[in-house]
Amino acid sequence: MTAARVGIGGPVGSGKTALIEAMLGELARQGIDTAVITNDLVTDEDAERLRRGGQLPPDRVRAVQAGACPHTVIREDPTLNMAAADRLEADYPGLDLILLESGGDNLASTFSPDLVDFWMFVIDVAGGDDIPRKKGPGIVQSNLLVINKVDLAPHVGVDFPKMLAEAQAVRGGAPVLATVCRRGEGVAEVVAHLRHEVLFK
Amino acid sequence: MMPLVRAMQLADSGFPSGVFAFSWGLESALADGRVDRHSLPGWVLAELQGRWHGFDRLALAGGFRATGAALGDWFATIDRLMPVERLRGASVQAGEALFAAARALRIGLDPAAVAAERAGLGHFTVVHGHFLAVSGLDLAAALAVSALAMARGCFSAAVRLGAIGAIAMQRELAALAPRIAALAADLPAPGTLPAGFSPLSDIALMRPRDGRLFIN
Ligand SMILES: Nc1nc2c(ncn2[C@@H]2O[C@H](COP(=O)(O)OP(=O)(O)OP(=O)(O)O)[C@@H](O)[C@H]2O)c(=O)[nH]1
Ligand SMILES: [Mg+2]
Repeated sequence: MTAARVGIGGPVGSGKTALIEAMLGELARQGIDTAVITNDLVTDEDAERLRRGGQLPPDRVRAVQAGACPHTVIREDPTLNMAAADRLEADYPGLDLILLESGGDNLASTFSPDLVDFWMFVIDVAGGDDIPRKKGPGIVQSNLLVINKVDLAPHVGVDFPKMLAEAQAVRGGAPVLATVCRRGEGVAEVVAHLRHEVLFK
Repeated sequence: MMPLVRAMQLADSGFPSGVFAFSWGLESALADGRVDRHSLPGWVLAELQGRWHGFDRLALAGGFRATGAALGDWFATIDRLMPVERLRGASVQAGEALFAAARALRIGLDPAAVAAERAGLGHFTVVHGHFLAVSGLDLAAALAVSALAMARGCFSAAVRLGAIGAIAMQRELAALAPRIAALAADLPAPGTLPAGFSPLSDIALMRPRDGRLFIN
């Protein structure tokens, strides 16, 4: 049995790492053996942050530097990430789940089906309520769309129920979940969705 | 025609081999001002004549020719010839990406190569040679694929770093083509050990990675 590989993409600063941080506690409580691969452009910033968080042993957080182009290493040439995932599986034979965080990118980024079994796209309320209407492949094609930072809606003049309805409409009924990763809200639903769709446990 | 078509596929920049993210020292060289738009073609040629011809060509030919225990030994030999740890690490990382591509493509590699990867010795040029042999290329084609890939890799890194335009890059590459062909036509005698690297990029590869755009 190989570990499920789940991609987490989305624009810069939407809360991808915050979602992973919030999910790790939930996943541990539910006994799901997890490891993480982060992609940053030129540093190991996100990996270091996750290691400092202490929710996973440091060696279960691996960093792949994406160079100049974050979507290339998750789509056109995903082999560096595939190698990192293969290596994690070899090092931790019982692994259930590998989360792969893409470097922050634009709405057109997608994950190669060669790399992941399932991928989610994280946008945030502060990016503007017009984002779902812009319909990038990330918004439309991801297996799960997460709209994060719902707490900020009143501060940035966003009508959240309308944004959510538009997101559901452009996705033709494919799942959309709302979160406040900072406070862990909605994260249990994301984990439950993963369990049902990819972990089968 | 079939070997030609296969060689073109394997030489295509879209072929997923993991080397995209590497600039092979060019990034630091540009940052330090040791290379600029005008000296770039000369830098690439120096890399080809130095690092590629002196090292990669021989490492690749060994990986191409050897099988079984001899192949395993060749991975270990190349590993010992890479004293700079950053270069060694990058070479192994790029190699692991090619191993991952082979697994995903279900291209069966020699068990000795797989064992070398597990032992952390899966250097890119060696596994590339082996991979190209298994894919049905002859050694001359494999060397041409490798030399062209290195030249194109350097130039395309320069394009992404904003040091040269995408059109000018193709012009420079075309101008270098006869040199690339001549270097690649130099088939090494079996067992020839690699010499050294070109000094400029060695220095670049030893620099810390802080603030660098690419892995190297
Ligand atoms: N108010 C609020 N802020 C949040 C929430 N989730 C994340 N943030 C903040 O948003 C900022 C970016 O979060 P990250 O998790 O680093 O975002 P990211 O998508 O991983 O960013 P990159 O990897 O750089 O693209 C941080 O300052 C977080 O604290 C949330 O639900 N509400
Ligand atoms: Mg992040």
